[in-house]
Amino acid sequence: MTREKLSGAEIVIEELKNEGAEVAFGIPGGVLLDLYEVLYTEDAVRHILMRHEQCAAHAADGYARVSGKTGVCIATSGPGATNLVTGLANASMDSTPVVALTGQVPTAAIGSNAFQEASTFTITMPVTKYNFLVKRTEDLPKVLHNAFYIANTGRKGVVLVDLPKDVLATKVEVDLHQKETFAGYNPKMKPNNVQIKKAAEALVNAERPLIIAGGGVISTGATEELRHLAEFLGAPVVTTLMGKGAIPENHPFSLGMAGMHGRIYANRAIYECDALLAVGTRFSDRLTGWQLDQFAPDATLIHVDIDAAEINKNIQVDIPIVGDAKFALGDIIKWLEKKKKTANKSVWVQRIKEMHSACEDCIKDVGRAGSSISDMFIKEINAILDSNAIVTTEVGQCQMFAAHYYITKKPRTFISSGGLGTMGFGFPAAIGAKVAAPDKKVVDIAGDGSFLMTCQDLATCVENDIPVVVCIFDNRYLGMVRQWQELFFDKRYSHTSLGMSPDFVKLAEAFGCYGERVEKPEELKDALHNAFESGKPAVIDMIVGNEDKILPMIPPGGGLTGMIGAERCKHI
Amino acid sequence: MQTHIISLLVEDLPGVLTRMSGMFTMRGINITSLTVSPCEKDGLSRMTVVIDGSEKVLEQVRKQLSNLIEVVKVVDLAENKAIIRDLCLMKIHVRDSNARSTVMQLAETYGAEIVDATLDSVIIEVTDDPKRIDRLVNLMKQFGVKQLFRTGVTAIGRDTGLER
Repeated sequence: MTREKLSGAEIVIEELKNEGAEVAFGIPGGVLLDLYEVLYTEDAVRHILMRHEQCAAHAADGYARVSGKTGVCIATSGPGATNLVTGLANASMDSTPVVALTGQVPTAAIGSNAFQEASTFTITMPVTKYNFLVKRTEDLPKVLHNAFYIANTGRKGVVLVDLPKDVLATKVEVDLHQKETFAGYNPKMKPNNVQIKKAAEALVNAERPLIIAGGGVISTGATEELRHLAEFLGAPVVTTLMGKGAIPENHPFSLGMAGMHGRIYANRAIYECDALLAVGTRFSDRLTGWQLDQFAPDATLIHVDIDAAEINKNIQVDIPIVGDAKFALGDIIKWLEKKKKTANKSVWVQRIKEMHSACEDCIKDVGRAGSSISDMFIKEINAILDSNAIVTTEVGQCQMFAAHYYITKKPRTFISSGGLGTMGFGFPAAIGAKVAAPDKKVVDIAGDGSFLMTCQDLATCVENDIPVVVCIFDNRYLGMVRQWQELFFDKRYSHTSLGMSPDFVKLAEAFGCYGERVEKPEELKDALHNAFESGKPAVIDMIVGNEDKILPMIPPGGGLTGMIGAERCKHI
Repeated sequence: MQTHIISLLVEDLPGVLTRMSGMFTMRGINITSLTVSPCEKDGLSRMTVVIDGSEKVLEQVRKQLSNLIEVVKVVDLAENKAIIRDLCLMKIHVRDSNARSTVMQLAETYGAEIVDATLDSVIIEVTDDPKRIDRLVNLMKQFGVKQLFRTGVTAIGRDTGLER
């Protein structure tokens, strides 16, 4: 604790450093001049100037998902703050730790409709875990500490700190690095032992146990515990979109992603199991489908979640466990080992292995009748990228091609907008990912519709030497909506055709990026090689079929056993 | 559908009421009544929220309220284990002396006070369990309720130990 006379802006930066924030993605503005004055000479916090505030939030989000650290974004008052909102909502929905700093008009002007004033505090309340409007410079150390503490503990999330201009400018004597927290905020980490015992017994006594791994497994770093428990129990692991990477998808017990666009045998296994351990997932409708009588009808349901409010919200469960996924899985394993319980599930394990290889064959056989050119492109990407590469996705068909076919082998290498489904997320998230992991290849699997929503940040990549590669599934449609129009609206393509503009290669070149067009999947290998070799940010325009579809899928209103378009799957 | 009374202990910070009521709005739950006041501890406030909903809705509400950072404690007050009070002020039209005396008699029976009177109206004040107030209000409607103000419910849990 040191007592010095510091400006609010200096306090903010000192506290950022103290909380371990090494990077901030932001855009300055009138009310933030004092803060940026400090950043001008500050080396410990690298500031990356973005070209749109939404991208600043997504980049902080991507950075957090890859590094596990809290991402930081900065925006000015009014439009700067309102532009952040989509990015904050996205991070909130996917429980990513992000701290957002926004400028605000001077405290005396708040409420007067001053220039560039917006009520950031009330606007962002529903899209944050918590937010602060700081009225006194003296409060900054406590506020900043709590912002980082709340963002990256319990169910992780977004905390916004709104900083009026005078609060940043005023100099005060204050104790830095205060640790006082809220009396009512005590995230429950350790699960209840009685519940752990019940869960462990149900799993070990079951004939057909199954684990659904969600994003909570990745964010708590519980992947080793997950693999260990799955192998011990002889239980297959299916994941949610957010859980992709929780188990290597080439592991014989992995059945890939389940749900609406999941793999047919992931859904089949959920239907067949007699004990289901769901960990770090909130049973979103994209996972469960809408016919809940097809969701694990014969199973004892066990649900582990850090957020008690998620228990019995979407699905009624038999054994609820509130706590951190890593602790819960670790405790279940410990109990089984202590009681020397063994699981003999040879029949079920045999069935899992058959299902796993049926899924693998499905992916290997892409290219045969019934599959699309998009399928073949994603197969090429699988062959080209190494297991350390980070894939981010935009939203829509491209996202589901990636989720369904891309074989993710490590946690924190598949970054996608799960809950909010934000088109335009993947590219700025890739920027954050590359900043967090500069030695890894970072590829955004994009659609032409999504990419245009945030592509102006190619300039950010060029100016800051952030060589990410954008692979566009270019079908000249808002593809997923078009697919639904084809399947459920009699091919009436209302306002989903995007026409021929722009030329993505020229667009890339205009920004100073590497651009290349690829018309055949087998050409992708060379194009990606060229892109990585160029050392520049790159855009690869992959021409795919206009009417390619991502199948199989659960139609709206359907259930896990009612996937349509499953003809192309290998049936066992 | 059932009526639930939830008592909250919250940190007295700007925005806490918005955040609390916003949680209800976001989840499509209607608040029947809400009171906020200081409590026995400095820096904390007590809120009493009344909602109508199923047990499932109540469970969600209780957990989501607990998730709010400023909420220190959430107590679901069962009606038989709490003292529940509401304050009601109402202006009753009395067209003649007959009506006036009946209104005054009824008020007395209900333990209500006549706090003001004019030639053609009386103002009644009553503090009671909200269900008893409902009954009195219904009676007064026979005469004509010109204005009605209620503070909303506040409630305190009874101790469970045997009384000395």
